[in-house]
Order: sequence, then structure tokens, then C-alpha cells
Amino acid sequence: MSRFQRFPTAPARRILVCRAIAILVSATVVSLLLAMSGRNVGELARLVLTSTIGSRFGLEDLALFMTPLLLTGSAVTVTRRMGLWNIGAEGQFYLGAVGAAGVGLFVHGPAVLILPLMALAAMLCGMVWILLPALARAFADVNEIITTLLLNFVASLLVYWLATGPWRDRVTDALVSTQRLPVSIPDLWGVVHWGFPLTLLIVGGLAGIMSFTRWGYEVRISGASAGMARYAGMPVSLRIISAMLLSGALAALAGMFEVAGTVHRLQGGMADNFGYLGIVVAVLARGSCLAVIPAALLMALILDVGIVLQTQQVAATVVLAITGLVLLLVAIADECAHYRAVAPAATRTARSTS
Amino acid sequence: MIEMLTALLTTAVLSGGVLAIASVGEVMAERVGVSNLGVEGLVSVGAATAALTAISTGNPWLALLAASAAGALGGMTFASAAVFVQASQVLCGLAITFLGVGLSAVIGHSVAGMPVPVTFAPVSIPVLSALPIIGPAFFAQNLLIVPAYFLVPAFCHWLLFHTRHGLNMRAVGENPAAADAAGIPVKAIRFWYVTLGAALAGAAGAYLSLAVIPSWSEGMVAGRGWIALALVIFAGFRPFNAAAGGLLFGLISAIGFLGQARGWPIAAPVLNMLPYLGTLAFIMLPAVFRRKGRRGGQAPAALGLPYFRSVR
Repeated sequence: MSRFQRFPTAPARRILVCRAIAILVSATVVSLLLAMSGRNVGELARLVLTSTIGSRFGLEDLALFMTPLLLTGSAVTVTRRMGLWNIGAEGQFYLGAVGAAGVGLFVHGPAVLILPLMALAAMLCGMVWILLPALARAFADVNEIITTLLLNFVASLLVYWLATGPWRDRVTDALVSTQRLPVSIPDLWGVVHWGFPLTLLIVGGLAGIMSFTRWGYEVRISGASAGMARYAGMPVSLRIISAMLLSGALAALAGMFEVAGTVHRLQGGMADNFGYLGIVVAVLARGSCLAVIPAALLMALILDVGIVLQTQQVAATVVLAITGLVLLLVAIADECAHYRAVAPAATRTARSTS
Repeated sequence: MIEMLTALLTTAVLSGGVLAIASVGEVMAERVGVSNLGVEGLVSVGAATAALTAISTGNPWLALLAASAAGALGGMTFASAAVFVQASQVLCGLAITFLGVGLSAVIGHSVAGMPVPVTFAPVSIPVLSALPIIGPAFFAQNLLIVPAYFLVPAFCHWLLFHTRHGLNMRAVGENPAAADAAGIPVKAIRFWYVTLGAALAGAAGAYLSLAVIPSWSEGMVAGRGWIALALVIFAGFRPFNAAAGGLLFGLISAIGFLGQARGWPIAAPVLNMLPYLGTLAFIMLPAVFRRKGRRGGQAPAALGLPYFRSVR
């Protein structure tokens, strides 16, 4: 008779297997619920497949969804490495969009100059947006989960105010958005803009920084054990602030790419939960920057499922519910992966004494 | 002036109730050592369930009951994962928020935007409601403000600080290993108080969709669940402080409403930022000014940590 015992670490393979089961279970639950509400699940599955990997449009859409998810996912991953949660990627995304749109609307010049300026302004805005939670966390130990989250609501209202108020489109008088930006990121393949390959490069670069630089090392050590890092003479508070600022800048860059590459204007609600879904991407990636890529791909697929469901008269937020289910089951799977069957107690004692 | 103060306080008492109920519930969960970040989702589910039940049955009390039951069900889902399986509390909480916000839109889809026919209408208490300013605010409101600000916090306070069971609860939150050694059922206590907290979050949702904004629409919870979570820290994990904090934040949102109603030259979205900015300020100030080593108002020592009993 063997029995299960919890081990402090879980090997990557067990986690992968447990998660595959979790994702399979959530897919089954969603299909069952859809079948119960009288929808043809087989037909839906076929639709999902053709609308994602089965057609050129599908693949283009997948890349467009992946771009912001990769960036918000790595934004959350950076803070995870520090042992912190940045739940405010949604707000920093909005601020990035504001910074980018501000430059795009009011600074005129050739696109080669304006686009980098937009990215710079976006990252600066994102960093400003996370500065207060970062300082409060580093010096006063204020829970960063709640502070970063509350700023999301403020950011969303700010964008709504700008897009319907001071920056609203006075040409066509569309009351919900700013006018179309004069510059945009050039398209690479269909509707996929250069932001996509650039984002992949950024994610790769980030993985390099995390693994091979002194800063990355100090962040990882501080995240693993702040006390030990302090004892070793690492400036933990400064690392908290710098990691959070980098995180804010990454999420803001997602906002810039969305404004300059996909939406081409600033409008309320444009972050579309990408910030929150970035948390899920980071969780799936388990703190590894490179693993953010497959995680973002999975999340983009879930978003595609949502779009197909919307065409079948299911509320748009059903994606959020599906994501929640996946997240819950993945959290459970991760914990289950810590358990392994061990030999019965009697045998173990015999072995250890021999 | 008096008229304005009356309007301000009346709105504050009405809208602060949601925060008071939800945050007292979360105080209970956090006192036994479980941080449930799913409050926003549970309030959403409660609000949608209440609107749906009220529209189909026409009974507000049944709607309140259904919303609490829906909240409790969500809490049990969370607690099964976070307490029994010991999965990460942060992840499970976020998952419950996503699930709750998403599901509430799905179940509320059919009644979205519809006015709720039966609500908790204001009830005037004869003599007291004639008092200036506080009369209309406290004694001519819907009946639910009595449990929201007084009965529920009082019961929770009594339970936590004046009973042996409350001592056990706090022991579980401070030092589950010691509690376990003393024979206190750690997991059962955590499970049931998380469920109770979640039921209160569901009830807060019912209060929102039956008394404050008598209808259901997507996004109407608008972060109130998260503000309630922040309030727990601000209140120093004490039920009465949490209820009073709800009133304070009701006052902050009431200032925004008043500004819109009176046509202040500030845009509505900017006024709507007030509750979030106020919460931020109030969560940061005590942390900045708190003297080191001073006991009181601190989080339970085992908050957020899963408890693994070693093999025996």
C-alpha cells in the first residue's frame, strides 16, 4: 500500500500533466454547460478550430490577441519574480494608451520619429501609474494587490473622460473616441502589425535580462527570500521599485501597440480585460518569461472561443467566466502536483535506518 | 446647507451599506486566516441572482436569500480549493472574481437593464425620522441598513471577542498549528467562516441591486468588492470599524453623486474616481503613520498562508 505525501517542490513534468488534466476538465465542463443550454458542441468546436488555426484570418486574429497578452503577461511575470502581484496591468495598459494617443494626436512629424516617441511616452505613463503602489509597497509594506487594482478603475475612468471629453473627436463628432491617429505601426502580414514580432523580441530579451544580468539575479533572490537578500546586502526596496516600474512599462507598451497598431484611436473600454488576462498568462507561465509565449497562445485561443460563442448569442463576459474556471482548476492542479505516492511508513523507517 | 447635508448623508448611508455588509463578511474570513480575493465576483453573483429572483418571484426577501445562497455556494467553491486542497489563496480568489463577474453577466443577461419591481423601499420611523439631517439618513431608509450597520457587525463582534468559539477562530487565524494541537478543527472553521463571509458578500450584492440601484446591469458592481477588501485592512480587521468604514466610503461616493446632481463643473467620470482614490488614500495613510511595534489593527499572523499539518 502506497500513500500520498506532500513534497515542498513539484517537478515540472508533474505540473504539466496536472495542468493538462485541469484544462481538459474545464473544456469538458464548458462543453457540458453549452450542451445543456441546447447548443451543438461539435459544431461550435469546428467553428472555433476554423476561426483560429484553420484559416488565415484566424491566425491573424490569434497574433493580434497574443500581442497585448504577451506584454501584460510578462508585466505580471516580472513582479511574480519579485514575489509580488501586479494586478494593475489593466490600468497601466490604459495609461500607455493615453500616453501614446497624446503624442500621436498632438505631436506631428514623420512616423519613424513619432512611433518611438509614442512608445516612450506610453512607458513613462505606465511607470508613473505604478509608482505610488511601488513606493507604498517598498517602504510602507502596503498590500500591492489592492493598490494596483484600485488604480485600474481610476485609469479606466480617465480614458473614458479623455475620449468623451477633452480629446473627443471633433471632426466626425463621434462621442465615444478620439479621432483616428495620423500614424500607425506598419502592417506585416494581413492585419498583423510589426508589434507582434517586436513583442516576441521583447519577451526573449526579458528572459535574457532575468537569467543573465545581476539585476535579474537580485530580483529573483529578493523574490525567493527577501530576508536572505537583505542579509546578502542586496537593496531589496530598490529592486521592488525597479521591478514594478519595469512591469508598469511593459503593460503600458501593450496599450501603445493596441492604440497604434490595432485600434488606431483612444476609446473607453479598449483594454478589454487584457490586463486581467495577463495575470492568468503569468500564472500559466509560472514565472518563466519564455513560457509566457505558449501561455499567451492558450489565452488567445480562449478569447477566440469567446468570439465564436458571442456569435451564438452568449454574453461576451463568458470568456471571463471560462478564464476563471481555468485559473481555479490550474491552481488546484498546481497544488496536486506536489503530492507523490510514497512507500508506506514502515518500509521508509526500515530504509532510513539501514 | 441643511438640505445638502441631509441629501449627502442619506446617499452615504444607502450606498455605504454594500461595502459594510461585504467587508464585515470578509473580516470573518480573514480572522480565520483566509484571504478571499473573490469578493468582487461574489457581490456580482449576488446582485445578478437577487435581480433575477426578484423579477421572477416578486419577493425581495426571497431574492436576498437566493443571493446569499449563491454567494455561499461561490464561497464553498473557493474554500474547497483554498482550504481543503490548499491551493494558492490569491489565485483561487482571482479565479472566483473572474468566474463571478463572468457568470453574473450570463445569468443576468435576460434581466439586464430591467427595473426590479420589488425593492427594499424606505420605511419611515415616526418620531426619529423627523430629526434634522440624521433623521432621514438613518430612520427613513430601507430596513436592510439595520442589519448592515448594526446587527451583523454586532453579532460578528460578539462572536469574535466575547465567546470561546471566537477565541478558537482567532487562534486559527493567528497560529493554526497551535490551534490544531489544541484540538480545534482548523479546516472546518476556515471552511465555514469563508462560506459565511461569501454569503454576506452575496447579500451585499442583493442590497446593491434591490436597494441602491434597483436593476441589474453588467459592470454595476464597479469595484465595490475590491473596495470592501481594502476596507478590511483599513478597519484593522474589526467588524464595527468595517461597518463604519463602509459609511465613510459611502460618504465619499455620495460627494461624487451630489456633484453630478448639482452640476458641479467637474466631469462625471472624474467625480466617479473619488471612491477609488479615497480608498487608496485611506489604505496608505495608516501604513505610513503606523508606529512600529504597536499591536492592534494588524493582520492575523497566518493570513493567506495555507496550513499543512505535518505527517503524524
